[in-house]
Amino acid sequence: MISHRDNNTQRIAALDERAEALKLKRGMGIADARAMHPMIDVVEADPEADRRLLEGLADWCDRYTPLVAIDAEDGLFLDVTGCTHLFSGERAMQDEILTRFFQQGFDVRAGLASTPGAAWAAARFHGNRIVALGEEEALLAPLPLSALRIAPETRTLLESVGLRTAGAVMAAPRAPLARRFGATLLLRLDQALGRLDEAVSPRLPVAPLSVERHLAEPVMLTDDIERLISRLAVALKTDLERRGEGARTLALLLFRVDGAVSRIAVGTSRPMREPRLIQRLFHERLTALEQNIDAGFGFDLVRLSVLSVAAFDLVQGDLTGEADDEDADIALFADRVRARLDEAAVLKPVIVESHLPERAVKTVPFAEAPQRRAPAAGRATPRTTPPMTIYPPERPVRLFRSPEPIEVPATEIPEGPPMNFRWRRALYRVARAEGPERIAAEWWRQLPGEEEAPTRDYYRIEDSEGRRYWLYRQGLYSSAPQAAPPRWYMHGVFA
Amino acid sequence: MLPEVNVMAMSAVARDTVFALRRQIAKIEGTLPERLEAPVAAPADAAKSDMTLVRRGLAVASPDAFLHTGIERLDTALGGGLPRAALSEIHGLETRDAGAVAGFALSLVSLILKEKQGLPILWVGTSEIFHEAGLPYARGLHALFGIEPEQLLFSEAPKLLDALWIAEEAARMTAFAAVILEIRGSPRLLDLTATRRLHARAQNAGRPVLLLRQAGEADPTAAPVRLIVSAAPAASRETVAGPLAGSIGRPAFKVDIGKSRTALPGQFTLEWNPNEHAFAERTENPVAVVPASQRGADPAPAPGAVLAFPAIGSPATGDQPSRQQHPAHRSPRRAG
Repeated sequence: MISHRDNNTQRIAALDERAEALKLKRGMGIADARAMHPMIDVVEADPEADRRLLEGLADWCDRYTPLVAIDAEDGLFLDVTGCTHLFSGERAMQDEILTRFFQQGFDVRAGLASTPGAAWAAARFHGNRIVALGEEEALLAPLPLSALRIAPETRTLLESVGLRTAGAVMAAPRAPLARRFGATLLLRLDQALGRLDEAVSPRLPVAPLSVERHLAEPVMLTDDIERLISRLAVALKTDLERRGEGARTLALLLFRVDGAVSRIAVGTSRPMREPRLIQRLFHERLTALEQNIDAGFGFDLVRLSVLSVAAFDLVQGDLTGEADDEDADIALFADRVRARLDEAAVLKPVIVESHLPERAVKTVPFAEAPQRRAPAAGRATPRTTPPMTIYPPERPVRLFRSPEPIEVPATEIPEGPPMNFRWRRALYRVARAEGPERIAAEWWRQLPGEEEAPTRDYYRIEDSEGRRYWLYRQGLYSSAPQAAPPRWYMHGVFA
Repeated sequence: MLPEVNVMAMSAVARDTVFALRRQIAKIEGTLPERLEAPVAAPADAAKSDMTLVRRGLAVASPDAFLHTGIERLDTALGGGLPRAALSEIHGLETRDAGAVAGFALSLVSLILKEKQGLPILWVGTSEIFHEAGLPYARGLHALFGIEPEQLLFSEAPKLLDALWIAEEAARMTAFAAVILEIRGSPRLLDLTATRRLHARAQNAGRPVLLLRQAGEADPTAAPVRLIVSAAPAASRETVAGPLAGSIGRPAFKVDIGKSRTALPGQFTLEWNPNEHAFAERTENPVAVVPASQRGADPAPAPGAVLAFPAIGSPATGDQPSRQQHPAHRSPRRAG
């Protein structure tokens, strides 16, 4: 028996047959129930866990159709249009689903109809019925109003005017119904009867292409899975070729015998259709995930889906077969690293127009970075150098992620470079200094009302041992008596 | 020192056999083949006509096998240059030398890129080192080394194992001009086996792998060359009116050969010329913060006989340098 808290009292939320036999009812207070039957076992309701379980079941149902939607808290919609023949008919498919759920220890009811509304009613009021096309009206007519998926308030209202079955509502004139009870009632009615289409919004995006293999003997070993992947990828390749596309995101679904589903996705930085390469990517991913995938008693269905595609440009290979596309090699390398580690494993710097050093270069994941231009034979002017600048400002070879505070005990002149400084608890003596280079905050990025960020004065410093650093002083020395002295930061190191 | 082996009075046949054997040994050991031809000058003297000078370590391998640094003394000490298809270690003694180490590695990459224009480079590092020493800054690399931002790829791995894997995978590719692997300290994972794997892949691909180790010990590794790099005070900026006092000019590095096939020790002060993308050697310290002779190991003595110059104006004791020899900036300054 499951309890939940409602209006500060513990009430029965759900109960099993044995509890029902004891004449307990849903909504009854736990205290009352305990008084009647002290032996009952009460469990606190956990909607989160219920939701997770339902999602797990939805994942599992993916093996029957890609269009699985979660309905409220206790139902699943499966759009099996065009899938039934794969399981030798509607009846056989429904039986198989029910049997498998039963074997997993779930008590489920199913209904199959040509509209979601009718199937919903059939599952709840007729256990395991298959409603043929055109039979919806006959099915719904004798059922109570709750079979129409309407709000409880509407139902109470309808009952108060004497409409107690769905058939009575269908027979009633439409215009007054709509006026009095809102459009939802008629919408639900029409949807159930098939007069209006109702779309089931699937939980996961539907893959444009997928290939799968049912296995009589479940596989457990990673090697076997990889072999299956390459076979599936061969089948996928013909489909991709026909469409003139390559895969950008691929997902591997492993359906475990006991119902758990593992979903493994890999992304590619350029469209891909070569089975060997696809297998290599999954090899890396599987190696990285080896600890996290529990094969249990094995997987009995392996599906390879293409989640997103992009146009695939065919490139003419040369006759010697030596035209190795280096960019392609690097893209594959980046994809493999990404599959093994994570999205940010291979980064590319991108120049941004900004004065602030930390903002002037952005690192983005390789897949999102703009593709490299083909190296021109005679590059005239490097793009990064502004044409009008004779002496571009010197920038360090390494920049710290965030400027590190340093202690500067004294400067020679108030706004001058430090004489020595303490960084990471070591004292450095300044031998030479160049600067300052004043970099002001970018006022155009400032939000209105925000205080203006202090300017920075950057100095190139060489310490007594010849190491060169890039430090800056944030703010200026002020003559105001209570003003805090400006702070110093280490921002980078020079070669 | 150059160890020399004199093979006396050998018949031509026996000599050929010895050479063939030496070559085979060199091949098995993976070392560079030695210079085996007889010196041209030798046959002039009849008495020494059947004597061959075998100088160990001076390579006659194909000239393409080496990246010439442009400094003859350094190239000779390294036995021809930095091997192109190999793992090379570049050490920094402390993490604060990271700038100099990165700068030196990038100058080598820049030399490589002179021939392989437009090829990308991959910089692999652990999160630790990127956090400690900062990320390579694309804006700074272009002006100094001519490396475009789009040629640069970073890979940051949270764990060393992952970083090693990335580097190994990258080292076998020919699409990169160079792979730089940067780590901190002396982790146990980076042992002889791991470096041998990296080295072998670099050899197969024919691309250099630079292993930057910040604050690392000189552990045994499979890399044929280890250079220890630290920062050297830069020269002043050159202007039309001469050196600008107090300015900080081109990057300068102090390079020690920690290990090389030729086993020639040496210390060099190199200056990087960002305009021509070339090294220049600096023989003396222009700023002279500390006397050069007191720091580090003595450079290798130049080969050749030492001759005594006739003593001109030097005191007989020879302990104190004369006034002329004593540099002005080293003279003690007395107040008052």
